[in-house]
Amino acid sequence: MTSTFHSIETSKRSLVTTTASLSTVSHNIANADSAGYSRQVVHTSATNPLEAVAFKNATSAGQIGTGVEATSVQRVRSLFLDTQFQGENSSLGSWDIRSDTLNKLETIVNEPSDTGLQKVINNFWSSWSDLSNNPQSTTNQKILKENTLALTDAMNQMSKQLDALSNNLTSSVSLDATTINSLLSTVGSLNKSIMSVESQGNDANDLRDSRDYAIDQLSKYGNVQVTQLSDGYQVNFGGQNAVTGTAVTQVTAASLQAAYEGGTLSSGEVHGYLLSRDTYVADYKTQLDQLANTLANGDLTVKLPSGSVIPEGTVLNGVTYSTAAGNRTLTSDLTVTVKGINGLHQLGYNSAGKAGGDFFGTTDGSGTVTAGNITMNKTLQDDASQIAFSLRTTGTGTNEKVVTGNGGLALLMTELQNTKMDFGGTTPTTVQDYFNGIVGQMGVDSQEATRQAANAKTLTDQVDASRKSVSGVSLDEEMTDLIKFQHAYSAASRFMTTFDQLLDKLINSTGRVGL
Amino acid sequence: MGMRITSNMMSSQTVRNLNNNLLNMDKLSNESSTGRKINKASDDPVGTTYSLRYRAELAANQQYTSNTDEAKSWLDYSDTVMGQAGDVMTRIKELTVQAGTGTTDSSGLTAIKDELEQLKGQLANIGNSQLTGKYIFNGQQLGEEPYALSDTVTSLTDVVTDTGQVTYGVSENVSLGVSTSGNDFFGSKVDKDNVFATIDRLTAAMDANDHAAISAELPNIESRATKMSALRSEVGAKTNRIELIQSRLEDRDLNVTTLQSKVEDADVAETLIKATAAQTVYQAALKTSASALQLSLVNFMG
Repeated sequence: MTSTFHSIETSKRSLVTTTASLSTVSHNIANADSAGYSRQVVHTSATNPLEAVAFKNATSAGQIGTGVEATSVQRVRSLFLDTQFQGENSSLGSWDIRSDTLNKLETIVNEPSDTGLQKVINNFWSSWSDLSNNPQSTTNQKILKENTLALTDAMNQMSKQLDALSNNLTSSVSLDATTINSLLSTVGSLNKSIMSVESQGNDANDLRDSRDYAIDQLSKYGNVQVTQLSDGYQVNFGGQNAVTGTAVTQVTAASLQAAYEGGTLSSGEVHGYLLSRDTYVADYKTQLDQLANTLANGDLTVKLPSGSVIPEGTVLNGVTYSTAAGNRTLTSDLTVTVKGINGLHQLGYNSAGKAGGDFFGTTDGSGTVTAGNITMNKTLQDDASQIAFSLRTTGTGTNEKVVTGNGGLALLMTELQNTKMDFGGTTPTTVQDYFNGIVGQMGVDSQEATRQAANAKTLTDQVDASRKSVSGVSLDEEMTDLIKFQHAYSAASRFMTTFDQLLDKLINSTGRVGL
Repeated sequence: MGMRITSNMMSSQTVRNLNNNLLNMDKLSNESSTGRKINKASDDPVGTTYSLRYRAELAANQQYTSNTDEAKSWLDYSDTVMGQAGDVMTRIKELTVQAGTGTTDSSGLTAIKDELEQLKGQLANIGNSQLTGKYIFNGQQLGEEPYALSDTVTSLTDVVTDTGQVTYGVSENVSLGVSTSGNDFFGSKVDKDNVFATIDRLTAAMDANDHAAISAELPNIESRATKMSALRSEVGAKTNRIELIQSRLEDRDLNVTTLQSKVEDADVAETLIKATAAQTVYQAALKTSASALQLSLVNFMG
């Protein structure tokens, strides 16, 4: 025999449970746009039935239901998709930065254009050609000086821009370290909160969402690996243990660098920054330095025409040329290897009849020419008439005078644009081809990085869509649930009213015979 | 597996698609506004390297063209000057024939001699011809007047001109010497037919009234005139060569410009059509997204 009020309790349970479902619908709708939110579902089950004592035999009506209860509120989420998303997101982070850096490099190199380095290189050769046409022209010497400075300025500026880019990348790593540490701390403290909530037997759904969202964000910066332990998430960032329970090991720019160099930090923004800096930017800078240095000092072979007079005391191919030896004036063409434009310039004479010294110098007085420090030899900068252009002199001793109508040296300089030079290690090539190589490689790298970034973006988006398909809030679905639960609530209320009427009948209308 | 589609998914998908469309439109509008399909190296890395090569070639070509212009003006001027020298030689020959006949008396010879002195001066002037301040018959000693008398050079016959060649770079690793040495043209110190020596001998013979000696100079005049006209022909031949090089440079300029245009320039019609198509797609995407995103059960529930 059940209690008189048994059914009231049953319908109360129904009302309470339906209210819980309705609250969850409301919570889902409210968070439809919240980042990292996964929809929640109320799991319900029938409460334990009553054994009706008096009828405990074969002919009994059996168990009497006692209604419903909400057993748990759980999030709908796929761990597999989470892991997949974090992997793709890391890859996207790295490629995004790489493609971005290469885009910046392309802007710095700025080719093909009418204002890039190639233009000033072309102008440089043209100035030598003009000078060879009118060797004694001081105007042409000055124009050559200006065009040389334009060339070295362009190289200096490109080198500076590369340094600035490199520094930006370094400080980006430090900035990222700050964000990473903040996210790691979040995970640590959420581990603690979740533990305390769940030790009471509840699901800390929203806190878990926050923690997973923090991991999602973390995965943008580097490769993360998450292991669920009894005391919460253990997070491995870039191959290093970063969070265990509430213990957080903070990262630093130096530790990130070490992880990158050790190969354990293999994707993510930080990886992108470090790789961009140490591979792309460093490579292009090295190549640009090589270009500058080869122009100034690289081995190249020229043919000095017969009739040229070699400056006193010059040693070429092991032969010393001097007045005493009587071999200064060449009686036939002489093919020699000289050290770059500097070496060639030393073989010519300027308008004062002096042998030209170095053509290029360095701004910092260093002996090694780089794109950053290359400049025109100070002496030539101060006085363009010191530029050597002639290969001939007449007279001897103190009466030796330059033949100013001879533009032989200037002509040889012009021809250098088609001369293969030694760019160190690689097969000798022309300046033009070497520069083409730099620009071409950059184009290919950039194209590749852009494509990879787009692919990574598509993959990440796809995985994210799969995830949203599982965990996302569908308003249509929630509205349908709303109707369902609303009706369930109404029905339970109606039952309560019905039972109320039943009792009313029993209490107020029975046993009143004769009243 | 049926996929759940949530409103959030739809909106992010929509944003992504619209963004892709915009990106495409931006790229096409950039192409059509610059008129170039390569705006940065990654647009077409291989094309970029070609483009750089073409640009370098065009720049070098332009320089060669200006060099050939200078070389040609040198040769044209040389031709003019040599023509003048030829005229003088004709006159010298006429005068020599006239003086050598024996019917010319001493006063006649004096007049002829005076004219010869004048012609000698004129030849020296020609020998000192300058083109934009450069003495064209003095090899690479462009700044030094060759046919001038000084302490060391007392007779025009003794003038030694420079043997160096004025050279212009006219195409890749090709340079062309265009100057003619004064010693080659007027004769050197040791040449018997040095024109100045010949005139000196003629005037001496006229002073001596020696008709036979006058006539004896005729072969020398003849041989010098022949050499002069041979050198003038050489100048003409070089002019032809320069003109050939010039037209080759022009052809190359045209070819390379065409190639460059093929690599760098956007096909305007194609770009515009693509841009219009992209616009249409973008508009359609905007329109359908706008109506799709409005739809939700929320709007239909009372």
